[in-house]
Amino acid sequence: MVEEAGMKIDEVVDGRGLFCPGPLMELIKTIQLKPVGTVLAVLSTDEGSAKDIPAWIQKVGQEYLKTEKKDGYWEVIVKKIK
Amino acid sequence: MERISFVLASDTLEKLHAVALMASVAAVSQMEVNVFVTMNAITAFRKSAIEKKSFRVEGEVGRHLLEKSQQMFYDLLLQGKMMGSLKVYACGMALDLLGEDLDQYFPVFDEVLGVAGFLGKVAGGQVLFV
Repeated sequence: MVEEAGMKIDEVVDGRGLFCPGPLMELIKTIQLKPVGTVLAVLSTDEGSAKDIPAWIQKVGQEYLKTEKKDGYWEVIVKKIK
Repeated sequence: MERISFVLASDTLEKLHAVALMASVAAVSQMEVNVFVTMNAITAFRKSAIEKKSFRVEGEVGRHLLEKSQQMFYDLLLQGKMMGSLKVYACGMALDLLGEDLDQYFPVFDEVLGVAGFLGKVAGGQVLFV
């Protein structure tokens, strides 16, 4: 588990270097296997995915926490709530 | 469940990829997705075309897709099928004209279908023609 600005990250999904929709697909594969309550951070170098992933999270009813621009990539944080 | 359907008629890599991308993301976004592969598009799904990555390319993006893409259109469709509700149908008329059956094709198809069958499956939803 990684702690970041008071937020506990249980799982990091590293989608850096993947083209759209690779990071989203990686998130979906991982989130399916994790228990409710898991907080996941998806890393993406693809700007489209950084916007797509929050849209997908909201569409499927998971909890979108935040997106942060890091050095050369985006980090999208999501909590599995169902 | 929302429903979206695609009629994929073009054999150009750019259009094959665009449809596969939209269909797979729709499928993992809790949408029911149907893809009807017809006309020349069906030829891009031959096992022989896929083995040689022999696809018609329209322009610059297509050339880059061939060089750099980590997942080709048939992989995206398979992924959408595994992770969501995505069905892919082969046009019976196109196969009849070519004198071929699904054994010669990449195993992504759920069944061979005619237009009436496809229209029955997509009724009430949005249909995009590519």
